[in-house]
This record gives sequence, structure tokens and C-alpha cells, in this order.
Amino acid sequence: MKLKIEDINRREIYRYLGYRGQTPDETVCQMIEEVLRELTRVIQPKYLYQGYQCSIQEDAIRLSDEQHNDVAIFTSMNLAENLNGCHKVILMAATLGIEADKLLQRYEIANMAKASAAQASGAATIEAYCNLIQEEIRQQVMAEGDYIKPRFSPGYGDLPLGAQKTIFQCLECTKRLGLTLTDSLLMYPTKSVTAFIGLTKNKQGCHIAKCSTCKNTGCEFRYED
Amino acid sequence: MKIKEKLGKEILFFDGAMGTELQSRGLKTGEIPETWNILHPDKIKQVHKEYLLAGANVISANTFGVNTFKCKDMEYTVEQLVTAGIGIVKDAILEVKDELVAQGKKKDELPDMYTALDIGSLGKLLKPLGEIPFEEAYQAFKEVILAGDKAGADVILIETVSDSYEIKAAVLAAKENSDLPVVVTMIFDENGKLLTGGDVASATAMLEGLGVDAIGFNCGLGPEQMLKLLPELTACCSIPIVINPNAGLPSVVNGKTVFNVEPEEFAQKVKFLVEHGASAVGGCCGTTPEHIRRVVETCKNMKLCPITDKNLTVVSSYNHAVYFTRKPLIIGERINPTGKSKFKQALRDHDMEYIYREGLTQEEKGAHILDVNVGLPEIDEPQLMEEAVTGIQAIIDLPLQIDTSDPIAMERALRCYNGKPMLNSVNGKQESMESVFPLAKKYGAVVVCLCLDESGIPETVEGRLAVAEKIVKTAQSYGIPKKNLVMDALVMTISTGKDNALITLEALRRIRYEMGIHTVLGVSNISFGLPERGKVTTTFFTMALQNGLSAGIVNPSSDLLMSAYYSFNALIGEDDQCMEYIEKCGNTAEQPKVAESGKNKELALDEAIIKGLTESAYQATIKLLEGGTDSLTIINEKLIPALDVVGKGFEEKKMFLPQLLMSADAAKASFEAIKKILSKEGKKSEAKGKIVIATVKGDIHDIGKNIVKTLLENYGFEMIDLGKDVDPELILKTVQENNIRLVGLSALMTTTVVNMEETIKLLRKHNVNCRVMVGGAVLTQEYADMIGADFYSKDAMGSVRYANELYEAGEI
Repeated sequence: MKLKIEDINRREIYRYLGYRGQTPDETVCQMIEEVLRELTRVIQPKYLYQGYQCSIQEDAIRLSDEQHNDVAIFTSMNLAENLNGCHKVILMAATLGIEADKLLQRYEIANMAKASAAQASGAATIEAYCNLIQEEIRQQVMAEGDYIKPRFSPGYGDLPLGAQKTIFQCLECTKRLGLTLTDSLLMYPTKSVTAFIGLTKNKQGCHIAKCSTCKNTGCEFRYED
Repeated sequence: MKIKEKLGKEILFFDGAMGTELQSRGLKTGEIPETWNILHPDKIKQVHKEYLLAGANVISANTFGVNTFKCKDMEYTVEQLVTAGIGIVKDAILEVKDELVAQGKKKDELPDMYTALDIGSLGKLLKPLGEIPFEEAYQAFKEVILAGDKAGADVILIETVSDSYEIKAAVLAAKENSDLPVVVTMIFDENGKLLTGGDVASATAMLEGLGVDAIGFNCGLGPEQMLKLLPELTACCSIPIVINPNAGLPSVVNGKTVFNVEPEEFAQKVKFLVEHGASAVGGCCGTTPEHIRRVVETCKNMKLCPITDKNLTVVSSYNHAVYFTRKPLIIGERINPTGKSKFKQALRDHDMEYIYREGLTQEEKGAHILDVNVGLPEIDEPQLMEEAVTGIQAIIDLPLQIDTSDPIAMERALRCYNGKPMLNSVNGKQESMESVFPLAKKYGAVVVCLCLDESGIPETVEGRLAVAEKIVKTAQSYGIPKKNLVMDALVMTISTGKDNALITLEALRRIRYEMGIHTVLGVSNISFGLPERGKVTTTFFTMALQNGLSAGIVNPSSDLLMSAYYSFNALIGEDDQCMEYIEKCGNTAEQPKVAESGKNKELALDEAIIKGLTESAYQATIKLLEGGTDSLTIINEKLIPALDVVGKGFEEKKMFLPQLLMSADAAKASFEAIKKILSKEGKKSEAKGKIVIATVKGDIHDIGKNIVKTLLENYGFEMIDLGKDVDPELILKTVQENNIRLVGLSALMTTTVVNMEETIKLLRKHNVNCRVMVGGAVLTQEYADMIGADFYSKDAMGSVRYANELYEAGEI
């Protein structure tokens, strides 16, 4: 799977930089493009995912393997709602790798404007990468008549960041992707995502724009549409 | 026989996977395998015995995940789990030996069986990019190693690691706390990269330098992919190679990760690995005792490839190796205060960014290695050296040449350096060799050797060669081979002796071509005391290159000198199709002097700042200063008003963050121009007041804080930046020690805002007379009030307004 520079949503970058629907002037756009080229040149994105059976009772989400052995239990009302009607869950993890953090640090020394662009571009790039992974999953499960739900990450709604520990264990994120977890449960490299993707037999609509499903209606970055 | 004596001489077999074997014995996902050392030792022992009976010689104890960070969530200590883990392997070995004897094998015919203390990643990223300091990682590994050594391990196996910095901490911990042999196998991807960006050559250079006993690959790839990577390793590796592949690449079948290279196929592929240079083989994920049995059957009578010294002179950064070859290298000399008043001032002001920018510029200009010298009599050199080396390697990919005469600074830099460093320098004095060589040996540095000794700098070629010979001989007595020495024949200016250049050049030629040692020179000394120095320096540089100079310590920003360098490479056939020459020197004529396109028209300073044009702002400031405008007038009447225009536009949402920051960068350039002039006059610009700024404990997102810092600096405040993930105690201490009246705190996550509250509470508790302003994505005015902050800044400009108000009221 190859991430292409055109897959990265420019509007999202503009939005992270505080533009609300406007397109930045030419100088800023050029700078963003330059940063994006450099970012996509240096990063080595990696990902992995694995599927589990899932059963949901109220706010308890129980994942199990093929032999019905329990693998993990998560507690979250919002995740349970997200996974409503799902018989399987895919856990995924993805990262742009440490080079993205390094590039950001370089820019912070030399050029703060580029640093802000790199921060926004990094966020949009990992999103674009996750969208590609999600698309791969969607096509794969289609054969079995499954549809995918929007992805849901620790920290969304009432799903605590503590869920990261369990996901890290299940997917062996450190060994296989080089991801690490701080004591405060944040990830290094910083441009990394872990998420749940529910599989359901019910046809789903959009699964990329997550704003419509998010409870934080006051969010500064919420899509206007 | 000890394992160290066998490694590389006879084939050795490592065991296979443990995790999957335990899962088939009932280990649940999420359950920590190492707890079974206490809970189900018999099941662990059974796995070890199966591998031993399959023919494995080296059994890895079930200690992979044991370390202080992971033990936090367990009810057992590191020592308990390691001691139990090693004990189980030793029991298994005894039992298997007894069984074999019972089956009629003679005792002296039993295969050798060794217990390996198995060490994996801590699961933490090291500072400066990550969370834990290098020494904390070292301590964590030390704890495991002391326990494993005490419990009777035969060898330390550091495996499935992918961060060279973490590996270095583990290897140092092993070397300093145990005499056991050390084997390191790393996890590379199919492109031959570690997950943290290193490659085979860079990791090998560092590890051989640190004196490990064997190097290799494990996990991540199957035998087929590892075979493709193996030539990269054999090309640069002079020690035994250990390879423990997975049973193929992982694939997800029905949602489960599986490895599907079957035992026989696996054994056939592993055979190729031995044929191409592996001295020891085994398995990793997905391999079973059956895999190992087939490997042993297939490979046990194979002859090993001889291990030869590749005789490479090499240094490395975290991500690549730089070799001394026929093609000369450029060592950037600019990170050095000698003769640079601005650099000295930056060191006194602890302006690390200044140092980093010097590094970035030299990297951009084509340097291959950077010299780092931060010595000034009035500063704490060891501390600053460690900080500089750590900081530079976080942002710059080049190998570093640690340049100091202070042995303490030297060791601290060598220790925290992520790679195989260059060390500048040792000389022929007994005292120098006695203090430098042990360090060079321990950390595997390539040492710059100056051809001078107690009697000074020899005036003749023969005299310098004699010192060189003495240094080589002494180095060898410390176990440092010639390949880790680079000779400096020393350059004396021709203004004090007409033959000075000729003596150096002849000594250089003979060192390189008769003694067979690579060479280095501090080139620019040649022209000291002469006008138009660049011309003489460049000509001498070219002559030196022709006489065998392997690396010049020069200023890569000199176009004249770099043109000579690229031309030389093209002329000696070291530049394929002259591509590099064409790229670097070919189109200088086409580039307009001012890079900012379409803005050749000179701009006034305020306009340049509003438009965010860095170069124009710099030039406009120089012009104003040269025209006699004093710096205070420039700042107050041009710079600040221009910044205000942009700030206002930002607040009115007519301008946006990137524009605000472009203007800030332009203003910064203007300040640089002012500082440059001031430092020439021996003056310093006055700051409005000091502000401490930090991203709170637990939070690692610091760009918002850095933006605020940049803007406040623009407005003339002196910023003490404590970085990210900052302990409340450190903030309190800094505030108290510097009598600070304003602190800025940022937090991005709801989970870390609590630490912001903690920090404020601590400051209040100690009754410090200082205000706290807070900001960050999840904060609101309400929340800021709740946690007792004095001011909530909704964006970067808010903090500027608040700080200015306090300043005008005389409160900071």
C-alpha cells in the first residue's frame, strides 16, 4: 500500500492551521506543498491490523479469538454505540514513524511557519494513511458481506486512553511498528493512530467523515458541512 | 567450552519462538508470558526441553519483556522474573543432558548447551525525541543484566530491538555490569531499515565499536528476506553473525496472524543463510521445535564462512554510516567558538538553537560529518557538550566529531552519542593517550590523532611520521586497530614558515600511502595572517586532497572551497558522470541573489515583516543599522509595529497562523541582524523580562508552546523554555531560582490538563510571586479559572498581549 501525496487532504491541513473554509494565499499554499513533499519523502509509514470476534453487552466490549477465547475487554458506552450491530472488530495501528517527529523538530529550529505546516500536514497525512488502510479493509471484508463502521480511537468519547495498553499488547505495536507508549498513555512516534473498526452486515454510508458522529459539537475543527 | 570461543568457529543453533508455544499451552492474549516463570515453570521448561532435544545449543530464557517499566503492572519484581527464567533454562539443560545420557550418549559427546539472558525493548522511546533519558534506559537494562548474571546466564542476547539508541544503552549496561558475551539481533524491515530509521551499516558500525561479540537479524522477516539483506551485513561486519528469522512474513488469515513457512522449507532457506555468512541460526515468530530440528539436521555439518576483518574506517549517525574511502569527506568546522564572538555569546546565553542552526546550515551545504566543540573557559563544558550532542542528533542525520580536550566532557558526549562517533583528538603525549585511548576503545570511536608530542610539533616530515608511528603503536596496546585512527599531520600557516605547507603535504602523503592510515586536516590554518584567506586555503585544500587527504575539517559554507572539492572528485573519477559537480556547481549563475522570487525590489523592514520575508527583513535591518539607525529605534519603531499589524490581522481572523509565524520568522531574522552588530560591538540586547514556558508533565505536544515562545521572543521577552513533559517541581525550581514573575503552561490533552492544575497548585503552595497563563486545545476560560490560572490565552497572540500588559504595568 503506497501513500500518495495527492491522497492527503489539503483542506484538512488548512483547517488545522486555523483556516475556516478559506484557501490560504499562494505563498502559504506553496510552503505547505513544499513541507508535504519533504514529509512524504522522509517518512516510512507502517501499519498492521487484526480481526477479532466481538460481543457487546451495554458498555462492555468483549473481543475474542477464533476459538472464542477472550482476548480483551474494553469499557465504553460510546464505543459500544459505535460498534452496535457488529459481529467482528478489527484493531488497527498505523504510524508515520519517527522521521515525521524529527522533521518537525528541524523545522522548529529553522522555520516556525514550516513547523506549523508540518504539524498540520503530519496530522492530515496519518489520517490519509488510515483512510487507505480502512479502504483495504473495506475491500477485504466485502467478500464476506461485511460493511465497516467509522474507525474509533482511544480518547474518543468515553473510551479511555488506557485502552491503548491493551491494543498495544494485542497487536504487539512496539515490536512490529516501533510504537511506544508514554506513562501518560500517549504514543511515540507522535503521528500514530490506533483504532477499532467494527464489521457489520448492515450496509453503512460514509465512514470517513467522522465529525457527524462526534459528540463534541463545539470543536474548533469540526467540518462545517 | 564457553560460548564465546565457539561463536564464529562452529555452527551454533538458537531456539525458536516462545510466545506461540506458550499460547498453545494456554497462555491467553493479554496475559504476560514472563509471569509464567513463576506461575507455570514446568510449562516453560517443557518448551525449552523441546528445543534442546531438537538440537538447539542456545536457549533464550523467558525474560524478553522483563524490565522495570513492564513490571510496574505486575506483582513480581524484575529480579524474581529473571532469576526464575534463567533457573528454568538451567534445569531444562540438566534434565535433557540426563535424558541423553540415559539413552546411552556419552557425557563428553553431549552438545554444548547455553543459557541466554533474553532482553527485548523497554517499550519506551528515549529522549530527546521521546520520553525517557538515556541513563534511565541504561539503569533499566542494568537491573535485568545484574539479575541475569547473578542467576548464571552464559550469554546476553539483546534481540528484536529496533532503536540503535536503546540498543546502545543495553550494550553499555551489559559491558559495564557483566563479563558475559553480548549478542545483538535487530529487527529490520524489507528495505533494510530499523523502525527508527537506522540501516545495517550504521548499526553494525556502532555495535562493533562497542565491542559486542556477535550481530545479526531476528524477527520481522522470514529467511528469504533476511537472505536478501545478508550481503549488506557481511560487507561491513567483521564479527560473527547470528540470524533468527520468523517462519516467513506474517499474513493475516481469518483475522489471525500466521507464519506459513513449513519446517523443511524453513531449514532449506536457513541453509542459504549459513552458506552466505551466518555463524549461528535459529528461529523467531512462528517457528517450532520441528523447525529447529530440521535446521539442525540440515546445517549441523556445514562449514562456516571465514570471518574476515573488513578493515573499514567508518563513523555513523543513528541512520547512516560514513566511510573513509578514496573519495574525500567534508567535516564541518563551524560548531566551534574559537574566534567567533557571536558563537561565544550564544554559548554563554545557553542559546542551543543557535548551535543547531549552525549544524543545519552545514548539513545543507554538503558536510558529511560535523565537528562539535562547545568549550569556553567560563561554562560547564561537560554539561553543555552532552546537551549539544543530544540535541544535534535529534534533528541532524550526520555523524558527529566530538571535539574537546576535557576528558569528562569527552566521555559524556561519547556515552550519549547515538552511533559510532569521531573523536577529536588525541596526540603523541603520554598523558593524552592515557586519557583518550581507553575512552576511544570503550565507545568504539574513530580518533583524530595529532602528530605532536611532549617536544611540540616536529618541524620535519620524519619527525611527524615518528609521532604518528608512536601513536599507532600505543593505540594497538589499547586494542585500538589502525582502522580506527585518522592522522592529522598538522597545518601551520605559511605566513610564519615558507615550507610549512610542503612539510604537511609530504607527511600527509606518507601517512596515507606508506603507513596506510586515513588522514584529516584543519585546512584553514594554512592561511592564518594572510589577506584573502579563502584563496590560499582552497588552493592548499586541493593540494592536500591530491596528496591523500581523506577528510578536510573546513567551512562547508565557503563556495570557493566546496567548488574545489566537487571539482576534485569529478577529476579523480569519484563523481559518476560528474552528476554531483553539475548539481552543486553547475547552475550557480542562474540563481538570483535574492531567493525570494519576484521580490527583487528592496523592501522596507516593516513591509518585509508583514509579508513574512525572512531574507528581505534581514537585509533591510542591516541596511538600517549601516545607515546609522540604532537598534532600539529599529525594534520599537519598525519591528514591533509591523508585528502588531500582523497580530491584529490574526486576531481579526484576516490573517492566519502560517502568516503570523512567517512574520515571526522574519522578525527573528531582523533580530539576528541586530544581535550580529551588537555582538561585534560587544553589547547585548536588553530583554523586557524573563518568562518561563513549559508543556506540562505527561504531555508531549509542544508545538503550541513553541509558537508562543517564538512570538514572545519577538516582542523582546527572554524565554526560559523547559520543553515538554516537564515536572512541576522543575517549573517551581526554575521560577524560584530566576525570580520569575510570569509562567506559561500548555497542555493539549484532557488527560494532561490535570498536571497543569498540579503545577499551579505547587506554585501557589510555595507562595511564589508569579502569574500563570495557560493555553492549549482542550482549555477554556472556565477551565482555566477552575484550575486557578491567572490568564487564559485562547491563541498565541493572547499571551503576547497579556505579557505586554504586565510589562507595561511594571509587573514583570
